[in-house]
Amino acid sequence: MSAQERRFNPYTENGGTILAIAGQDFTVIAGDTRQSEGYNIQTRYAPKVFRLTDKAVLAVNGFAADGNMFVQKVQQRLEWYQHAHNKEMPLRAIARLIQTMLYAKRFFPYYVYNILGGIEDDGSGAVYSFDPVGSYEREACRAAGAAQSLVQPFLDNQIYFKNQLPPSGGAHPKHLPLKEVLSLVIDSFTGATERHIEVGDGLEIYIVTASKRPNADLEAIANLKQVPGGFIGGEDGEKIYVVRRELKKD
Amino acid sequence: MNAIASRFRASPYHEQGVEQDQNAQDSVLWGSQGGFGNLRAGAPPEFVVPNVPSPTAFLQLHTDDHADPNCRIKIAHGTTTLAFRFRGGIIVAVDSRATAGSYIASGTVKKVIEINKFLLGTMAGGAADCQYWETYLGIQCRLHELRNRERISVAAASKYLSNLVYSYKGMGLSMGTMICGWDKTGPALFYVDSDGTRLKGDVFSVGSGSTFAYGVLDQGYHWELSDEDAQELGRRSIYAAGHRDAFSGNTINLYHVRETGWEFIGNYDVTKMHYDGPGNIPGAPVGGYGYDARVSTV
Amino acid sequence: MEVSFAITGKGYVILAADQNAARSIIKMKADEDKIKALGSHLLMAYSGEPGDTVQFAEYVERNLRLQQMRNNHPLRPQAAASWVRRSIADSLRSRSPYAVNILLGGYDMANKQAKLYWMDYLGTQVDVPFAAHGYGSYFALSLLDREVQKRLVISFPSFKVKVVDEGGVREVELDMTV
Repeated sequence: MSAQERRFNPYTENGGTILAIAGQDFTVIAGDTRQSEGYNIQTRYAPKVFRLTDKAVLAVNGFAADGNMFVQKVQQRLEWYQHAHNKEMPLRAIARLIQTMLYAKRFFPYYVYNILGGIEDDGSGAVYSFDPVGSYEREACRAAGAAQSLVQPFLDNQIYFKNQLPPSGGAHPKHLPLKEVLSLVIDSFTGATERHIEVGDGLEIYIVTASKRPNADLEAIANLKQVPGGFIGGEDGEKIYVVRRELKKD
Repeated sequence: MNAIASRFRASPYHEQGVEQDQNAQDSVLWGSQGGFGNLRAGAPPEFVVPNVPSPTAFLQLHTDDHADPNCRIKIAHGTTTLAFRFRGGIIVAVDSRATAGSYIASGTVKKVIEINKFLLGTMAGGAADCQYWETYLGIQCRLHELRNRERISVAAASKYLSNLVYSYKGMGLSMGTMICGWDKTGPALFYVDSDGTRLKGDVFSVGSGSTFAYGVLDQGYHWELSDEDAQELGRRSIYAAGHRDAFSGNTINLYHVRETGWEFIGNYDVTKMHYDGPGNIPGAPVGGYGYDARVSTV
Repeated sequence: MEVSFAITGKGYVILAADQNAARSIIKMKADEDKIKALGSHLLMAYSGEPGDTVQFAEYVERNLRLQQMRNNHPLRPQAAASWVRRSIADSLRSRSPYAVNILLGGYDMANKQAKLYWMDYLGTQVDVPFAAHGYGSYFALSLLDREVQKRLVISFPSFKVKVVDEGGVREVELDMTV
């Protein structure tokens, strides 16, 4: 290999962490907003979580330039799909689309870890996680990025109840309510911010709710804002909300 | 210019400038056919290749964590998979652990890929390589069905895959897979890997834990095994690998291929197998695979 | 760790090849046939890079079959050997060469002669009375007699043995206990 070639390095690592948890009729997708390179903080607000459709949200982590590029390309393909079919692409189809788009660059990969969250056609909350070249799987929860190894074990314990005994005479709940999931997300990020230098500054939590879900429990959430969308499903359709919070900035 | 160049292009991939948009020339992307839109042309999908003298070296520099543990893009590795042919069909058993370096990236990976009702493929090596190409194989098998009004043979399906990955030899694909199914010839099992090897056989195991699985499998294997004993052998072999190989473990997925197609038998926790065993299942011993054997005083 | 041998005698060539398919330390198969019949009077033993071997052997097989169908006559061993050698040589100068070593044995029906050709992946071709590829060659080339079985440290449990003579191609059982 020539010296010239060894120097061609189109990748860097921009820190940050993303996370998604699926509920019974909702999905929460969150990411911090710090973007760094080495020990330098490039910005305190660089979103890593993006609305794709009224029922799909994509979080990207790894190399920010690749991530932003990839989100744009996915959004473009979804727009084309809508023009061609006059409907939004189902979540499982978006997942497969992301696989083929990532794999198309198998020999020059996007250095991006993707987590797709949203509502499936049957109304259930779903999380799909991807590796950089497109292998994917549906899961109930997934953390990725700089603090993945800090957050995922916490989620395994609190969501999957790993290494926990069920209460006597009962069983672990299959799905957690939104309120508890949000607390877990916030705790995950404040915890990661405490112990990881690449995590912090701000937190963006996206909530996707299934159609016809009674969203009364949303009213108690501070700083909740609805994300404007296509509203293809009308008033009863899936909705996306976002909560923005502060994280420690040191 | 491009048309002339493409006439002399023998390989399925071609170099493309970084600044070029790979979507621009592809009008089929407008439809719902996803990345497989160019199936119409009958050729495998095209890939973006970095504009450097050696794309292979470039890819290795950034993805080969074996050579450089600090490389950025980690592709999940480490596995135990097995499949064997016997009187009652084919048993397919795999673990569910994916590792990136020493981190367990996932403990719930589906390493058996359901190509169609009669064909199973296993996953070892690059997860995306296996998932993508075996899905692609599924599409080709369906097209074969539609064109020829009969199901593709396992031999033909496995050869299609082997020829496909062989055309990418040296480009860095990594897969070691077993194609299992039932066709006119009965149960059929083929091993196909990314350096182009394709072997017909009765017993195969692939992955970092395969030596441990082979140990149990070879001593218990017999053509005349009953269905229950065969399933137990598959389960017990993956357990052994999960127990001894640090890169394998979490859970076992067990499948049985019969004349009527494949059947998912179950998912078994490796730790639970160690202490409690699979429970009251025909063919299985009472108690755990590992625990009772070590602590019982009898 | 592949081994193949070939010996010519009066009116015949006999080829033998090990039957293992190994991946690193694991023997995945012990009954693989690495000798292809390329016609009624032509045999080819192949070894080398996994993947390349079978692909190249099938490529040769199909092309020689095509020659036979077009001309209603099979290539003679010498001509077949030249064609195979040229294929290897051309491939060596391409972007992705086949790394395959070959023993080609045939019975020439025109002059009633048995012929054997040794070829390596670089496109070297030699017309020889006996030949071997792999570690076996270190023993076979000096001895090529019964001593082979006694001295060979890499002793394979079984060999696929095929003969080609005036009557054509056939498989023989080799008694390894002698």
